[in-house]
Amino acid sequence: MLNLEQQIKDAMQQVAELSDCQLVESINPDTQLLECGLDSLGYAMLVAQLEEDLGYDPFTELALDTYPSTFAEFLAMYQQCANNR
Amino acid sequence: MLSLSNQLTNLPKTGVITAAGQHSSITVLITKAEQIREQYPQFYQRSIAIRYTNLADFVTALIAFDGCCSAIYLRPPNVTIPHNDIIDWPLESDAAVVDSIPPRLKSEAVDSVATTWFMATSGTTGEPKWCSHSLLSLTANTKHSQKLQALCWALLYQPYRFAGLQVVLQALLSGADLVDVADYEPLAQMAFLKHADVTALSATPSLWRQLLMTRQLSELALSHITLGGEIADQSLLDTLKRLFPNANVRHIYASTEAGVGFIVSDGRAGFPAKWLKDQTLTVALKVSDEQHLLIKPQHHICQSLALQTNELGYVDSLDKVQVIDDRVLFLGRATGTINVGGNKVHPEKVEQVLLQCADISQAKVYAKKSALLGELVVADVMIIDAKVEQEVKQQVLKMCKKQLQRFEIPTKINIVKNIDHDPSGKLNRKPQYD
Repeated sequence: MLNLEQQIKDAMQQVAELSDCQLVESINPDTQLLECGLDSLGYAMLVAQLEEDLGYDPFTELALDTYPSTFAEFLAMYQQCANNR
Repeated sequence: MLSLSNQLTNLPKTGVITAAGQHSSITVLITKAEQIREQYPQFYQRSIAIRYTNLADFVTALIAFDGCCSAIYLRPPNVTIPHNDIIDWPLESDAAVVDSIPPRLKSEAVDSVATTWFMATSGTTGEPKWCSHSLLSLTANTKHSQKLQALCWALLYQPYRFAGLQVVLQALLSGADLVDVADYEPLAQMAFLKHADVTALSATPSLWRQLLMTRQLSELALSHITLGGEIADQSLLDTLKRLFPNANVRHIYASTEAGVGFIVSDGRAGFPAKWLKDQTLTVALKVSDEQHLLIKPQHHICQSLALQTNELGYVDSLDKVQVIDDRVLFLGRATGTINVGGNKVHPEKVEQVLLQCADISQAKVYAKKSALLGELVVADVMIIDAKVEQEVKQQVLKMCKKQLQRFEIPTKINIVKNIDHDPSGKLNRKPQYD
């Protein structure tokens, strides 16, 4: 089983190809999500893809106080959702 | 009703428009508009289509032609004008205007014509549908006060679309300033919004979520927050209220076809169920037996809605609603139309593209709920030869990219063995989350 971080990165790559977006070369924990290369449609597709791969959608399941802004925050949100299950 | 030009002239103060770093004062645009009317007296009582180039020229054209031309068509890019007898503005050349009408030189003539405003919305087949409005109906909710005059509005929508025009008219007629950031990505938008000290912002829930992702939204001193174009959910309303406790947070129910319906400002999703019995509202509201919201606006109803209007004057909005306790909540479109971040997608149009693929025997396009964009487009297809599954998917995607806009392309294509039809033989396009 792949770790969560790799799964998210793979899904990002897959969505980028489908939605004609160009991902930045390396995505680090503090990379801004809005600067990764995915646009709003790309993100919505990513969340839908991950819901299919993982079986959950943190944007629906968690009562979010703030929206994730960096890759680390995005990953932490999925981690939290996985831990809650 | 006074024309846009005369209403602006009567204001105690008018604002400034900023687009691409260029500032234009409305006073200067009013003068430019007068010059256009004097230069082209033959436009009097003619129909004109305004092609969007930039915000200042667009606003100048609106000021020049309302009250002077019989009809104004707000023409989105790539949309052709509905008939040939319409002047195409800006003119390619002076020779483009065939003059058969005696000139009316006096600019006081402005106001003598009740101009019909036409706005385009996408139709089921992909052909645009033109909906008529008047300045009166478009500004039914526009207010003026000293407080509103001090605002700086941001324009995040295309101004030739209904929601964008609402922002433009509200800013103009309240004497407020207006900053155009419609064509930028969220991080760049944020930089412009901060630089301009924007205090009033109208956007779709999807755009609001994107601005929240920048984590810089709270750096703005917003006093007026408006959501529209999609269903406003409670968690987003709560987040915005938490960030801006003193702001006026409103969600607007409107459509290009029927105009502004109503505004909800109590911070809760949906609208109060008691409004269904309230006769004092500017629109009368009802819920049909099929759970559709019916609305009866005070103003003139566009001809294109005739088939959806009952004998009492109620228009079927085709929006599905559910009454829960004291609240009427929106569920989505009854027609199967998909709303991707405020962009309308007709499933029939997407299905037609999918069916062009020789290996696909049947296709069904429907909505999948998205916490970020409201809804996404998903397709189920039946293929003739199961061995070519991957090839079909790739081929279909290629065709979609050529013929559809990005938000219309299915985000997921499922190969299925069966596609449901209802007893009448129609496709059952119920959203995946129903």
